[in-house]
Amino acid sequence: MLTHLERSDKNTQRCCRIMTHTRVLTIPVVLLTLVFAFGWHIAVGAKTVPLGTVFQALTNYDQSVFDHVIIRDLRMPRAIYAVFVGASLSVAGALMQGVTRNPLADPGILGLLVGASFAVVMAVSFLNLSSPALIPPIAAFGATVTAILVWTIAGVAPGGSTPLTLVLSGAAITAFLGAFITLANLMDQDSFESLRVWLTGTLSGRSIDVLYWSLPWIILGMVLSFAIAGQITALAMGDDTAIGLGINVARVRGTALLAVIALTAASVSIAGPMGFVGLVIPHVVRLFVGADYKRIVPYSAACGAIYLLLVDIVARLILAPVEVSTGIMTAMIGAPFFVWLVRARL
Amino acid sequence: MTTTHLSAFRGRISVLVAPKAMWVALALSTLLLTITAASLMSGSYPIDLPGVWQTLVGTPPSDTAQTVVWQFRFPRTLVAAIAGALFGLSGAILQNITRNPLADPSLVGVSQGAGLAVVAAIVVYPDINAGWRPVLAFGGALAVAALIQWIAMQRTGGATMRFILTGIGVAAFISAITSAMLTYGNIDQAQAALGWLAGSIHAVGWVEVKFLSICLALLTPCLMWASRPMAALKLGPEVALGLGVAVRPVRICLITLSVALAAFAVAAVGPLGFVGLVAPHLARRFARCGVGQHLLLTALTGAVMVCLSDYVGRTAFAPIQIPAGILTAILGVPVFLLIVVKIQSPQQL
Repeated sequence: MLTHLERSDKNTQRCCRIMTHTRVLTIPVVLLTLVFAFGWHIAVGAKTVPLGTVFQALTNYDQSVFDHVIIRDLRMPRAIYAVFVGASLSVAGALMQGVTRNPLADPGILGLLVGASFAVVMAVSFLNLSSPALIPPIAAFGATVTAILVWTIAGVAPGGSTPLTLVLSGAAITAFLGAFITLANLMDQDSFESLRVWLTGTLSGRSIDVLYWSLPWIILGMVLSFAIAGQITALAMGDDTAIGLGINVARVRGTALLAVIALTAASVSIAGPMGFVGLVIPHVVRLFVGADYKRIVPYSAACGAIYLLLVDIVARLILAPVEVSTGIMTAMIGAPFFVWLVRARL
Repeated sequence: MTTTHLSAFRGRISVLVAPKAMWVALALSTLLLTITAASLMSGSYPIDLPGVWQTLVGTPPSDTAQTVVWQFRFPRTLVAAIAGALFGLSGAILQNITRNPLADPSLVGVSQGAGLAVVAAIVVYPDINAGWRPVLAFGGALAVAALIQWIAMQRTGGATMRFILTGIGVAAFISAITSAMLTYGNIDQAQAALGWLAGSIHAVGWVEVKFLSICLALLTPCLMWASRPMAALKLGPEVALGLGVAVRPVRICLITLSVALAAFAVAAVGPLGFVGLVAPHLARRFARCGVGQHLLLTALTGAVMVCLSDYVGRTAFAPIQIPAGILTAILGVPVFLLIVVKIQSPQQL
């Protein structure tokens, strides 16, 4: 007879063994998939381009070939946006899930995306600040204020910031700011025209300048995330364990918040509020690589990029020639996943 | 709470009445009448109070006043009041039977289900008769309610919390499908649907008034019947069973009733958020009383809320009309957060 403790110990060992032996997600596999998804994303569209031409255009650009011009000027920016936005949002979601120990955490669900969008909408329609350099800091400001607000409300509620109170206050803030965004839309129809599509979460139509100005934020966020990934693993086991392991909990939390805000702000600046990406990917990645954030963070970045490329392919093809907003597609895939998580984890 | 015992038909029908609640009901009715009067008076063609009164009793001061009051302002105000009452009642029933202070038809996706059914019909069959709208809304809302119940009921323990979270997820999913429908659909129809989805009352006429009055008239007797088993269900399914309530069928009937109230209101004015959440709580704050009177107060509070939102949205930034749904959300969210924060124990969530 095994005691309960021994049995659970054996189970853990078996789990670990399965995890290490059936490692599907390895670095070569992920990178190859990423390259393939990138190529495929560029190849499909109103005019299908053979994959060979795609790689030729990327490696050996010839301005006189029409297909090469399409690829370089129209399709490649979009694929690059998808890579950066998918990676940023997934890493942000992974950090939030680890730090708050909340399986339902995601920049969208906890209101950060709508906070950033709200700030951008207000700045563009009332202060006429539409210079691409200013958009990321404005979005970061909105995300910061919203994050603090949501956490304060959830912390004041009885029982502290549980998954339920966090999701509820996130949903409330989303509804509240959403109402104000609609209001701004009604007050100022003209300047809003350009923002309408952006607000549903889209990868098309943004100038490449926005990407350049967002890139420093993404790099900052990624560097911070990779730096604290190991400490997040300890934090995910509980504050007491983390303190026992010699980790400065407050500093890791602060750094994580900074990283999440930088990543969220950059992706909102590029693509608008793209919900549920940060929820889905870290959970899927965790299934394959286990609970170590040193592995979860980089794999989330790569898998998030692949995921958003694939979702964007579906969004462009499903109702062709009409394009569905990518943000709508991510919500349609992510929301059922959220419901499943609620059932399975709570 | 002090109550007075009233009985009729030799004690066959008897009710406990809290006098304070009746005073509150009177005050709310007066407020509703005041807002109605203000709403009839103001707009781009102002009419003074005697003028409004003369128009209503049939001796209008001018033809313009006659048209403005009877064609535009009066039906609009009536629809706002009745829809508000329906939303409030729907929320009150949902809160009582799920024993969850946060249940609201628009938070858990019931309103969104109604919205999706209507938008899908507009997009797929553009020349559909407007009369089908309520039926579709009811069907969509009922399907969503059944789906959430089914998902949330699969496992035991913490059921109410899972109910709300499931609802939030389902609501997000349905909103995404609705947005996709709008991108796919014809731009003119999409524009019309967008205004309706924001919870706008500006396009209603006497058809909606008639429709909503019939709904209210048909559903009120059901509500009067339902108030007794609902009072028992409020104490929990075990107690209700002990008090002789057939819990399962009554629950199903009540959920259907709640969904019907929300769906018909949505069919007329679009998904107005947070009224069903806030009105029952405000009513409870105004006066402590039994379930029946609480429903009455809730209906009046909901009516006042939506009328006021419509009136303010129409006049505050004229000529821009702000849909009432936006104002109810702006009003409702702080109250919602207050409820979350004020709940005594985490078990109540």
